[in-house]
Amino acid sequence: MTMTGSKANRSAEALERASRAHQIRRRLFIGFLVVAAIVWIVPLVWMFSLSLTPNEILQRDTTSLLPREPTLGNFSDVFSVGLTPRWFLNSVVVTTVTTIFTLILSAMAGYAFARIDFRGKKIMYPFVLAGLMVPKEAMFVPLFLMFAEFGQHNTYHALALPRIAAPLGVFIMTQFFAAIPDELEEAARVDGAGRWRTFISVMMPMAAPALTALAIFTFVLTWNDYLWPLVSATQREMFTITTGLASLQGNFAQATELGALMARGVLASLPLLILFVVFQRQLIRGISIGSGGK
Amino acid sequence: MTAISQDQPKVKPKGPPNLTQSTGAGWSFLVPFLVIYVIFLIYPVIQAVIMGFFDWDFLDISDRTFIGLKNYGRMFWGTEMTWDAQHLWAWRLVGLAVIPFLWRAVGRRSLTRGSAIGLTIMLVVLFGVTMGVHPGEGGRWYDSQFWSSFGNTVLFVIMSTPLIVGLGLALAVALNRPGRLVAILRTMFFAPYVLSVAVLTLIWAFLLSPSLGLIGSLWESIGLEPVNWLNSSTWAMPAIVVTTLWWTVGFNLVLFLAGLQDIDRSQYEAAELDGAGTWAQFRFITIPGLRRTTLLVVTLQIIASFQIFGQVFIMTRGGPNGATRVSIQHIFESGFRDFELGYASAMSLFLFVVMVSISFLQFKYFEPEGTA
Repeated sequence: MTMTGSKANRSAEALERASRAHQIRRRLFIGFLVVAAIVWIVPLVWMFSLSLTPNEILQRDTTSLLPREPTLGNFSDVFSVGLTPRWFLNSVVVTTVTTIFTLILSAMAGYAFARIDFRGKKIMYPFVLAGLMVPKEAMFVPLFLMFAEFGQHNTYHALALPRIAAPLGVFIMTQFFAAIPDELEEAARVDGAGRWRTFISVMMPMAAPALTALAIFTFVLTWNDYLWPLVSATQREMFTITTGLASLQGNFAQATELGALMARGVLASLPLLILFVVFQRQLIRGISIGSGGK
Repeated sequence: MTAISQDQPKVKPKGPPNLTQSTGAGWSFLVPFLVIYVIFLIYPVIQAVIMGFFDWDFLDISDRTFIGLKNYGRMFWGTEMTWDAQHLWAWRLVGLAVIPFLWRAVGRRSLTRGSAIGLTIMLVVLFGVTMGVHPGEGGRWYDSQFWSSFGNTVLFVIMSTPLIVGLGLALAVALNRPGRLVAILRTMFFAPYVLSVAVLTLIWAFLLSPSLGLIGSLWESIGLEPVNWLNSSTWAMPAIVVTTLWWTVGFNLVLFLAGLQDIDRSQYEAAELDGAGTWAQFRFITIPGLRRTTLLVVTLQIIASFQIFGQVFIMTRGGPNGATRVSIQHIFESGFRDFELGYASAMSLFLFVVMVSISFLQFKYFEPEGTA
């Protein structure tokens, strides 16, 4: 308040200049990020472009990011040649079953840990969490042996069961149920609803956000699983889309069938890309709560 | 002006929580998961320990012979074993060079003296002594591929972790601002994470191909000799690292973004009033505020990197000349190509122990105080 008029003027000018410089820097920075993001998804765009380009053109040039003479021929090839539709179906079945059972079992166990006081809980919760330390990737040999002893390989349940045993879902659901205020459950109980009624008609609907996040996260991980299906499903008819697509790489007469191969890649990633666009927020939530970050 | 009393948190009556004692109900909710969990997760770990003591044939799984610790001997030992100070000296020196940093951390009170002594002893034993053991003249490792594949795995972890974590952090800080455009950019950087490993390799094997790929044509357009990245023992591993970076950086981006949301905005405002620049704010508010997230991200990243398999197996099959052969591939091939399930189990256990030790060390010694 004690500043003289001229001083105030000068500092206002300086401030304005500084803020304009700040604005320009900010715009440049955003511009840089936009360019970087576009470069980042070029490989993805390229796959789509190649999948829509006729194979004859691809024999001469594969570097176009926009399909020349776009065609759906490669996609009709997917459905007429090879087992890709079968693999896709296998993936849909295994992923759906795994996701549904993961949700049900995790929610039940999470509810028990978070809201019921039972004998043995203090031992069982750490026992389940300890499973978070076990890397599936390093334990596939004994798992393989187990299914082999009962002759259960090359089945859907062999592909799904080991994934359902994931303690991560229990951890997420326990965290979620523990945060629900007691009053809500109390009200239901006062109305005479039993444990199961309360669980199914009060707690489950309330857990919808956590369940959605867990479902998306499980779906992505199961769809993309590679090592276990590679070990367990060895008959070509039982491949998942991930192991099937991997089996085609290197076997294909690469340069001539590139378009058809890329079309299979597009098909394999389409469900997840769609899911991702629709449920982006839930997937991201799933990652951050699933990692214990929040 | 609201009354001050309204702003005070309501004190909850400190009665017994609504957790009614009901052992039957508790177990009935828990048992379905528990059965699956014990059969398909806990039992395999125990089974792996048992199998590690056997010579167990894949083709006839009832054919097994107890061989004690021979599988482990085959992994860790060789003929004409000797010890000398110069073996792998560069790597060992790097390992030992960590020790001064530990003691600096003690000086800054971010590590207790006891922990530092423990870690120092561990590092000396591991890098100073153990890594000096190797086959002498005319000797060889019983399984040199075990060591070369483990070495490649460690190399991958060392190359990829700083890159993926660093880029994830940089992107998170850059993209942690409101606005529709920035939201779209976040989506674009995250998108590759939802691809499966087979799609990833499909794209990148061709992208990196010298004749068909975009990178090759870009390379030639600036007048450089085309490089067959995946067929060069020098470039194959860096190419795998770049591929993995593109694929997974979005995951770390999300975790760091979540961590940034937890930092109190008023700290930045206060710093701005004090005239702190962008860099100073990053250095003194963002970095300390993200300590817990960073610890989590680094741990998850290292564990995930130790399990690298798909990218390598599909793109290079471990080649050229074993330059990208990694531990899981060695386990996979020992079990399912050479039919030695016992030996493969022993190696899985080794990898398991390495990963658990790393995450244990990170959480025990580097967890910031008060958050454990």
